[in-house]
Amino acid sequence: MADKPLLPDLMKAHGISRRGFLKYCATLTSAMALPPMLAPKVAHALETTARPSVIWLSFQECTGCTEAITRSHAPTIEDLIFNVISLDYHHTLQAASGDAAEHAREQAMKDNWGNYLVVVDGSIPIGNPGYSTIAGISNLDMLKETAEGAAAIVAVGTCAAYGGIPHADPNPTGAVSVSDIITDKPIINVPGCPPIPIVMTSVLAQFLTFGLESIEVDKLGRPKAFFGETIHDRCYRRPFYDKGLFAEGFDDEGAREGWCLYKLGCKGPTTRSVCATVKWNNGTSFPIQAGHGCLGCTEPDFWDNGGFYKPLSVPAGEYRKLGLAAVAGGAALGVAGGAVGRANKARAARAHETVDAHDLEKKT
Amino acid sequence: MTATLERGLNALREQIDAPVASFFTSCVSCGLCAEACLFYKETGDPQYTPIHKLELMQRLWSNEYTLLGRAKSMLGLGKKITDEDLTEWETLVYDSCTMCGRCTMVCPVGNDITMMIRKMREGMSASGHGPVDLVGAAERHTDGTSPMGDLTKALHARVKQASAETGLEIELDKPGVDYMLILSSHEIASGEEMIAAVARIMHKAGVTWTISTEGFEATNVGIQLGNRDVARNLVSRVVDAAEKLGVKGVISPECGHAFQAIRWEGPNLIGREYPFEVVHIIELLDKLRAEGKLKTKGKDHDRITFHDPCQINRRGGINKEPRNLLNMVSDNFIETEDAGTMNWCCSGGGGVGANTRANDLQAKAFNIKKRQIEAVAPEKIVTMCAFCHTTLENQLEARNMDDIEVLGLTEMMAEYLDDED
Repeated sequence: MADKPLLPDLMKAHGISRRGFLKYCATLTSAMALPPMLAPKVAHALETTARPSVIWLSFQECTGCTEAITRSHAPTIEDLIFNVISLDYHHTLQAASGDAAEHAREQAMKDNWGNYLVVVDGSIPIGNPGYSTIAGISNLDMLKETAEGAAAIVAVGTCAAYGGIPHADPNPTGAVSVSDIITDKPIINVPGCPPIPIVMTSVLAQFLTFGLESIEVDKLGRPKAFFGETIHDRCYRRPFYDKGLFAEGFDDEGAREGWCLYKLGCKGPTTRSVCATVKWNNGTSFPIQAGHGCLGCTEPDFWDNGGFYKPLSVPAGEYRKLGLAAVAGGAALGVAGGAVGRANKARAARAHETVDAHDLEKKT
Repeated sequence: MTATLERGLNALREQIDAPVASFFTSCVSCGLCAEACLFYKETGDPQYTPIHKLELMQRLWSNEYTLLGRAKSMLGLGKKITDEDLTEWETLVYDSCTMCGRCTMVCPVGNDITMMIRKMREGMSASGHGPVDLVGAAERHTDGTSPMGDLTKALHARVKQASAETGLEIELDKPGVDYMLILSSHEIASGEEMIAAVARIMHKAGVTWTISTEGFEATNVGIQLGNRDVARNLVSRVVDAAEKLGVKGVISPECGHAFQAIRWEGPNLIGREYPFEVVHIIELLDKLRAEGKLKTKGKDHDRITFHDPCQINRRGGINKEPRNLLNMVSDNFIETEDAGTMNWCCSGGGGVGANTRANDLQAKAFNIKKRQIEAVAPEKIVTMCAFCHTTLENQLEARNMDDIEVLGLTEMMAEYLDDED
């Protein structure tokens, strides 16, 4: 890796000033929820680290995650990211095709065995490996093969992290997440449909700057810096929720007044992401600000969590049959219990001896 | 045959039906019934929480009528009911419950606690745990014609007095008339006023009526004691007499539990419908008023309040009728707090007033009614139950408040009756 150029040289080559670079480092530092005094450390790390090789694998996905990361809005961020790292394989972005493209992946793996980073977007079909192949190699084989020499894996997007939309009921391809297959490598999940661009780039930058150990993850494998709080906790409409002011329809007075969208099915209260603070499109807006409830895309199985327009308090799933079975079972138990009770009562009635007013007293 | 624990438990088993099972299952132990009970309210003693008074019945239901309880009983784990338990609960079930029905009204899950107390008393009485005063009354009524013994002679005398006073002929045992009047023994023992009042009003309204010498006693100690065999025997006397005379209706007098006995429990006790209707005297008077057959003259200007008898209003459904009538004859009628269906009991109902053992507790329980009366400072209290009437008089007298006059509504209506043709 010693022959690889360092960042300052690359910056010069790309006409980026040192001031622009430091601004970027400060942005990343705050995005990672690190103290501002660590910004110089970020800059130093990025300045002195040789570009690690990154292999980006796209499986059952819609290219939305790639589309999103290319719109990362921090100053010159895509430039920096694609130069800070050596993106050796990404079949949407790379110029090479066919054998040459696959050769680039094999070469990168060979050159950087044990040190490269694998970024995965999309889920892996295991129902039939033929459902999704690249250059004749099934997704499952490519992932296993590539992961073997990886330092770590970043599962980008909900499909790679939790199976996402391909995994949704009835899951025709048998789609699973990266962590369902790879169990012997560190995996960081950056879910979202797509994830917020700066969250993706920040996780990569943190990985480069402070190493894997610095990234604290929650029980779903998400970096706590970006998935520590719910959207509801930080939502600008939260005061309306607290006051009990809810929009009941998309065109009613409450909707026009910007009241809470809870009753219209907003999943903000159970969805962990920084959408409400970092926002999208260069900090312009986010779904709730645009007047639509959160879909909960950073959570596993968000597609199957009841309807998008069902309030959270309405149970998700198909409970009709279960309910009917419970009613039938309860009725049968009730009838049986009732029969026992009636038999008891009838026995007591048969044992009844008519009481006369004169035998109300206990004679001893 | 004698009263035994087994006979009592068997009687309790007979009482456990679907409503009881659903009530015990639904109880959420919220304790709201405590606040509704005059005994808890005035003593603050948690043992008077109405649902607690049913604990033995609940235990029997749990042990013998529920899956888990039956399994436990088979393993010998269920707590059995002993004679000592019944002794302990006797005072709770009889001395501290007037069957007033307020607890039933407030129960958030709709449990009819009062009805269950009535059922629990079946087990208590059959096992020999009825209060001695009520047992004595049951024996006297069974052997004679009323809980006071044989009142037939007294009835003849009262009818004669009333006839003389009103100048109206009152014929006993007259078949084919519209109504047969039954009376509470209080109304016979205390004087001829009630009979005279009814005679004047009926005469004016053109309604024919009579009293049967074979079934004139309205009270039914079997209801208070909670023994349906005794209650059936007593209520049958009235039903038989009414059927013998072929009347269209039976008039239940100003007596709370008598109305329960003849109007609600009677058909269930004898197991069939009556061939006649049952009306409360106040119901009938209000009907006559609505038909224009009851007219009054003049008004009472004294400050008057009304006491709702629990068994006639809350548990009997007669609420507007007495008010319609009172407003005809009073221009200074004021309601106490909680008047109507949430009234507080006079403290003497459900056999408590006839149970001398409960005297001290009853006096305490009356205090809530006393405060409500004081708050409106009436000169007269009108009611439509002879036993409420007596209880109010006695309790007020004990507190040196006997300057307040207590009146029966029927007598008051007769007093202001427009006699002119």
